[in-house]
Amino acid sequence: MRRRSATQDHPLTRTLFSLIAIGVVAVFLVLPLAMVFSQALARGAGVALKAVVEPDALSAIRLTLLTAAVAVPLNAVFGIAASWAIAKFDFKGRQLLTTFIDLPFSISPVVSGLIYVLIFGLQGWLGPTMREWDIKVIFALPGIVLATMFVTFPFVARELIPLMADQGRGEEEAAVSLGASGLQTFLRVTLPNIKWGLLYGVLLCNARAMGEFGAVSVVSGHIRGLTNTMPLHVEVLYNDYQFVGAFAVASLLALLAIVTLVLKSLLEWRFADEIAATHRH
Amino acid sequence: MSLVVDSIIKRFERFPALNGVSFTAPSGTFLALLGPSGSGKTTLLRILGGLEFPDGGTVRFADLDWLAVPARDRRAGFVFQQYALFQHMTVSQNVGFGLSVRPRRQRPSRSEIARRVEELLALVQLEGFGRRYPSQLSGGQRQRVALARALAIEPRMLLLDEPFGALDAKVRKELRSWLRALHERMGITTVFVTHDQDEAFALADLVAIMNAGKIEQFGTPDEVRRSPKTPFVAEFLETEQPPKPIYRLGGTRPGG
Amino acid sequence: MTIASLVNRWRNPSALPGFGLSLGFTVFYLSAIVLIPLAALVVRPWSIGFGGFWHVLTDHRVMAALRLSFGGAAVAAAINAVTGPIVAWVLVRYRFPGRRLLDALVDLPFALPTAVAGIALSTLYAPQGWLGEIAGRFGVKVAYTPLGVIVALTFIGLPFVVRTLQPVLADLSLDAEEAAATLGASRLQTLWRVVLPTVLPSLITGATLAFARAVGEYGSVIFIAGNLPGISEIAPLLIVIKLEQYDYVGAAAIGVVMLAASFVLILALNLVQNWAQSRR
Repeated sequence: MRRRSATQDHPLTRTLFSLIAIGVVAVFLVLPLAMVFSQALARGAGVALKAVVEPDALSAIRLTLLTAAVAVPLNAVFGIAASWAIAKFDFKGRQLLTTFIDLPFSISPVVSGLIYVLIFGLQGWLGPTMREWDIKVIFALPGIVLATMFVTFPFVARELIPLMADQGRGEEEAAVSLGASGLQTFLRVTLPNIKWGLLYGVLLCNARAMGEFGAVSVVSGHIRGLTNTMPLHVEVLYNDYQFVGAFAVASLLALLAIVTLVLKSLLEWRFADEIAATHRH
Repeated sequence: MSLVVDSIIKRFERFPALNGVSFTAPSGTFLALLGPSGSGKTTLLRILGGLEFPDGGTVRFADLDWLAVPARDRRAGFVFQQYALFQHMTVSQNVGFGLSVRPRRQRPSRSEIARRVEELLALVQLEGFGRRYPSQLSGGQRQRVALARALAIEPRMLLLDEPFGALDAKVRKELRSWLRALHERMGITTVFVTHDQDEAFALADLVAIMNAGKIEQFGTPDEVRRSPKTPFVAEFLETEQPPKPIYRLGGTRPGG
Repeated sequence: MTIASLVNRWRNPSALPGFGLSLGFTVFYLSAIVLIPLAALVVRPWSIGFGGFWHVLTDHRVMAALRLSFGGAAVAAAINAVTGPIVAWVLVRYRFPGRRLLDALVDLPFALPTAVAGIALSTLYAPQGWLGEIAGRFGVKVAYTPLGVIVALTFIGLPFVVRTLQPVLADLSLDAEEAAATLGASRLQTLWRVVLPTVLPSLITGATLAFARAVGEYGSVIFIAGNLPGISEIAPLLIVIKLEQYDYVGAAAIGVVMLAASFVLILALNLVQNWAQSRR
């Protein structure tokens, strides 16, 4: 007697599908990751370590951290402001605003960098002005930060808008009726309700900010020791056939990715309700 | 300190939620806004609380142009239908919230706030519940916390939006008599929204029967019951149950 | 009263404070970081007129690059449209040890920096790489060919399809499947004729998202691509090359095409969503 429910697949189907799923994930996703670490350690941990602490690598790490430290908080503040305006109020043009905010997600990273070159580059709109004032944007830190801000722009907003919309206005209205000011309402009522969603958005924003390659590559100029972030440094080493070095630095980035994934899963698992609203495409 | 509402109009898109509402209620009255859903009673309540803004008309209360006063300065205690308790704060923190956000000069000390919170919790019969979170309370308990929270700011006006709607019949009856007793004790002008006639007539000094954004009849419960002025009122009062003697809560009232 | 009522028609006034401040800041920030720079891109190619713009685009090298980027993305999205639903189905309907891990791994391409993925894929599929060697035995060369491009684009597109499908599959009520069973359908028939059509809009959305991402992808692809002009050179790389030669206009021209493609795809996605809503 078959004890399988009517909505369960045949054991053969289950096996086949499972094998395909595991196979696809293993070959397409896990193998490349495994490759990174195995290549980094190909000549032993010592060599890998040396590649990571060498001066150009260290300045790349510094630049990456600095860029993220500027871009992420700014985009977080933006995300909070945008979701407050969009989720707690009723006005025409909300949908349009949301669509604009989502734009950077659909644009190629190279184009994201290109637009800043078109403004600040030598032949750009503000190029001559920048030269006159001796401000370096392209091929310098500001350009890298701007390009990074562009590509990571939507992360926090996208997370918070549905969340705050879902949570509604009830608690905020109660706070106002009890005499709280706008700031008090936000800090004591809204913020605690969105804290896990905010953390989640910041986590994703940061992962992208530190790992961004295409956009930064266009604006940076690849000046060793000066304008190379970690991903760019990886490229430089790889193109120089210094494979172990390239993979060693890449391993650091891969570790960052793994930590991000672990934290992401943890947040999704434990605070599903408080970040729930987004995952409803 | 009577409440004078004059020709209030409110439109949502093109839908007229309130279409010229006027009445006067003396200070300290318990006024019930009674009507079917969609009649505009909650909208009117929210306008009194400063959470909505009318498209026309005026309101005077406490000798003030009431509509010109921002919500946070009105000291109109609002009890929401879904309680709107602050989920991440304890009961004590919820109740004390209105006191803790006062401007520095008017803010009581922490011990004073704690004392008042204890007093209020005793008033609503929730002593000892201070450290619990809203999610750990029953519906009736949450409702009492919401009421205590609104009372904590020493409101000039109390606004309740179908506060007992989500509770079962027994709890509802208990809370009803308890609310009436509270009103007699404190004498605050209270406006109470409901679609339940028995509740309105048991609690209120004055009743406004609303329909489609207008007040069909305004008067004491006895007046309204004895002489319904419009066909709607007559029909509305008949749909619930056959008329029975009104057992007024809280003792003697004129017209009883 | 009139200005107030005009404002009221635009938005329903609220007791909550901070609207002006938050909206103002939002619009300012959005314009400064996103909208104005994009405007710079859109305006640039026209400095040489429409004829010049067309001339740049129809250049043999540019056309080849666009063909590779769009064509490769399409093939990759198609592959993901087949494997993605299977992965999503397994994650949603089956229970086995390690399922949570598998689920987390699907996000890997989202989280892994593209340059890291790029060098890993390149080394993996190079002639002496773990997989490149196996392919070599069948006479197939992956790295430094358009096939390598497709492989890389499949890598980054997979999560889009899986993640778009998962919540929809999870929300499916079992009624329809049970009905099909009582009417005599086999499981496979049910999957193909009942489940799949129901989730089709999400599948199309996911595949379109994967396609949109793949068209503009740079870091994961340039290491494995070979980058031979006219053969294995992707459009984003061509933009970079033109910039290095200070051909701003040429770079902008290609950029505009890619931007236009993004807009068309966003529009298409909205249409698909509307279609899905109307079906309910």
